[in-house]
Amino acid sequence: MVFFQEIFDRIRGGLSSVQGGHEESIKAKFEQFKKVLRSNQVALEIIADMGEKLSGDYIFDKRYIEESYEKLSEAVLKSVNALNALCDNKYKDLYEVYDRVTRHLLEILKQREDRNGPPVIPLKAVTRSNNAIVGGKAKHLAKIIRDLELPVPDGFVITTRAYHDVIAYSGLAPKIDKLEGLIASPVIDSHEIEDLRREIQREISRLDPPPRLLDDIAGALEQMDFKDMDRPHLAVRSSAQEEDMDFSFAGQFDTVLNVRARPNDIFLAYRKVMASLFGKHVIEYRRTVLEGEGQMSIAALCQLMVNARSSGVLFTIDPLDSQSEDIVIVGNWGQGEAVVDGKMPTDTFRVSRKGGLKIVSRQVSRKKEALYLSAVGGLEKKNVPEELWDKPCLSDEEVIHLAGMGLRLENYFKRPQDVEWVVNLRDELLILQSRGLLLKEQDHIERSLLNLDEKYEIISKGEGLTAQQGIGCGPVKIVRTMKDLEDIPEGAVLVSPRDMSKFVQVMKKVSAIVTEVGTPVSHMATICRELGVPCLVNVKDILSKVHDGMIVTVDAEDQKIYKGKVKELLAYRNSRAMNVFESRDFRLLRRFLNAVAPLNLVDPLIEDFKMENCETYHDILRFIHEKAVQELIALGKDEKRLLKGNITRRLELSIPAGILCVDLGGGISEDAPQDHCELKHITSIPFRALLKGMTAPGVWHTQVMDVSLRDMVSSMINAPTDALDGQYSGHNIAIITREYVNLSLRFGYHFNIVDAYCSDFPRDNHIYFRFLGGATDLTKRSRRARLIAEILRAYDLNVKTKGDVVTARLGNMQRKDMEYILDILGRLIGFTRQLDVHMENDAQIDRYLQAFLNGQYDVSIR
Amino acid sequence: MTESATQPIRLVIIDDEPIVGKRLKQVFSKMGFDVEIFTNSLAAVQFMEKNPFDIVVTDFKMEELDGMDVLREAKRINPGARVIIITGYASPETAKEAFKNGVFDFMVKPFRLEELKEAVLRAAKAST
Repeated sequence: MVFFQEIFDRIRGGLSSVQGGHEESIKAKFEQFKKVLRSNQVALEIIADMGEKLSGDYIFDKRYIEESYEKLSEAVLKSVNALNALCDNKYKDLYEVYDRVTRHLLEILKQREDRNGPPVIPLKAVTRSNNAIVGGKAKHLAKIIRDLELPVPDGFVITTRAYHDVIAYSGLAPKIDKLEGLIASPVIDSHEIEDLRREIQREISRLDPPPRLLDDIAGALEQMDFKDMDRPHLAVRSSAQEEDMDFSFAGQFDTVLNVRARPNDIFLAYRKVMASLFGKHVIEYRRTVLEGEGQMSIAALCQLMVNARSSGVLFTIDPLDSQSEDIVIVGNWGQGEAVVDGKMPTDTFRVSRKGGLKIVSRQVSRKKEALYLSAVGGLEKKNVPEELWDKPCLSDEEVIHLAGMGLRLENYFKRPQDVEWVVNLRDELLILQSRGLLLKEQDHIERSLLNLDEKYEIISKGEGLTAQQGIGCGPVKIVRTMKDLEDIPEGAVLVSPRDMSKFVQVMKKVSAIVTEVGTPVSHMATICRELGVPCLVNVKDILSKVHDGMIVTVDAEDQKIYKGKVKELLAYRNSRAMNVFESRDFRLLRRFLNAVAPLNLVDPLIEDFKMENCETYHDILRFIHEKAVQELIALGKDEKRLLKGNITRRLELSIPAGILCVDLGGGISEDAPQDHCELKHITSIPFRALLKGMTAPGVWHTQVMDVSLRDMVSSMINAPTDALDGQYSGHNIAIITREYVNLSLRFGYHFNIVDAYCSDFPRDNHIYFRFLGGATDLTKRSRRARLIAEILRAYDLNVKTKGDVVTARLGNMQRKDMEYILDILGRLIGFTRQLDVHMENDAQIDRYLQAFLNGQYDVSIR
Repeated sequence: MTESATQPIRLVIIDDEPIVGKRLKQVFSKMGFDVEIFTNSLAAVQFMEKNPFDIVVTDFKMEELDGMDVLREAKRINPGARVIIITGYASPETAKEAFKNGVFDFMVKPFRLEELKEAVLRAAKAST
């Protein structure tokens, strides 16, 4: 692997020559700008390519990840260089950001990323960015809290970073390194391994806490919600590095229950969990199954110990009879360990999921004893009050409520679940854990799949591309507009003309997604992969073959869609003990992409849009793109310079828009005069579409709106600072190529920015629209922002508003659809010019919305 | 497709990453093949010595015997066998040598599962 510093020095060293040759000519600036676009494009393509590999539809290995990393880090560095060359080294600090992100990526490749980040993290604050240090169990629970908003006992994670801190403080590192070496070695000396691991365990059980760790734990305890508890206790459990280790090691890692919520007590419990990482079976598994690979560290999940009225487990399908489709709930009074151990009598409830949840049977046992929290820590067996012996431990309502939670968990994780639940003394239901249900491996289950095509009616076969592998079944819900998303049923198969990132809001509910147009590298596809939603894109004519409510089974593995419920395929799906896509290299790629692909810097108008807030390569690329565009826009201040550059022409339109066109290539036809051009000369695809809308009959009212003095003063005071610092003042500028437009328009106190790329390749296409205005009082402004947002939403744009700033995005669309939306944006730009003084009351929002949708653009007609 | 074949075609898959093997077993069993998976190439060759097989899909870089060794052994045991080598570390030399030794296909990672399915189906056709 080429070490990044080498690439670094090589390319950065070459930068001086770029600067040395830098002339004050505009053209050179544009060339540099194009370089930024090109290197950004290269980098984004590599990221998209890596994302696609996570669909489960590819065979790849570590070599691919390493090579992609090398290409990617080089491309991003080129972008940083190009930006600095464009902006006279204004962003040289970006190199430090690049170094930081790159170092992190290298640690991931070396599988050492579990050493970074905070030692203690509240469970609520666990996100993708700290996934690497919280372990599988905590990651899983955090998803349940974050994405499903189900009640989970509050808690915090002592991360793997803390583990490494403790080891470093203890001086145990050399012994552990030696053990690692022995495990990885092909020559096995079982005795030596055994002696060493015991010695390490012994020493861990005597460790002192590093001083700061106790403070961090104390800090986390302070943030916890203990409500009215006078002596709160916690459960301290392992959260192993890989989820399947959590899975294979249920019972191997230590759990310490009912620990006083005091830093030192928690540390003592944590020490036990740490020591269990060196348990005999764990070491054996690492040696044989993981072949010495994988990370040697462990996180601990510390959660509020719930004083349980009842508790138990729920299986979303009966593990003994997977055909029955009943949800099975088993429980007892008191703490759930009694149920898990199987040593005490329990109640069993069966809930049918066919046509709404219904209890089909209750088996209530005589429960004379149960486990309760002990006053001295841990649990103790106690007698159950006689009046409760024969009473079910859950009411019917609770059973149904719990079954509903189970279904949501199954739909979210896309496989049957094994859920641990508890009801506290306030009769509130909480989820302690949810994991994939281990079904008995059914040999040759694939045999049952051989003649499905004859047994079931096929709706579509061999059509489309797999964006995410998997099998899903449910009623079809056709989604044409955002409104259709509102009433999507749990477990539906979403069918749509094209893929939209907006689908993310229902992804936890749907069992599969099928689109007529789309690509496996879209944003939506990325989210499907994150959430494991089976997804086929580019399935020809699917909308004409299905209707709402029709039950279908989607097999994204073989690109087939069947009519009805194909039980064999669902049994096949459920039979997988663990996610078979999750090979070592697959997990590595996912961790790598988590540090590369998320976009935290979204809106340049928001405070956070700063260099130092870049966490990923994608952030850096976004930052570079924005700053490069700003640099070009800033050029617009100097009209003479632009005109001298010989690539700038005044655009003469039928409306007084005052636009200067800067053509970077292919945006204006060659027969245009030197100093100006007309609409007929514009060959830029997105710009033409935009102008078509702006100049459409009735859109542009020349009548100037009088802005009252009060409004004027108000606007001067409240206008966003970057609007007043002169950066966007001067002429209206359109920077264009054949496929691209970046239009900055200032009319009175409104600023519109349209940035669009429009080609014959949907995946390259995007529209970014931003409106920010002033010139009227705050109430009117926010009404205006709401109106604009409503209009944009009506055309399915992804809209965000902040104060009176409206931003909207859309991407991954066919060229003709892009042109249509750009035309609409052109109309909207004309329309908004007049809105300043008209937004007198809220009712007008809807009136003007309807007017716009009906093509009635003159708001002075009341 | 092999779905209508009366006697299933016997496929041996060798990959030192157990999950990849499991995944491929699912894919090809679903298509009607009789699949045996191995993470250890030596064990795979021992199996081939004793059991009939038609197609071998093997990773290249492995401990014990590498993909080239597996190819030679498979061809020695059953000259009619079709061997597909998959690798992330391809050099023109290894590819050349593999073809000299009678490899049926030499596939460089990353590739779509679909491509492997097609290669195996071609091999299946060629061996019937």
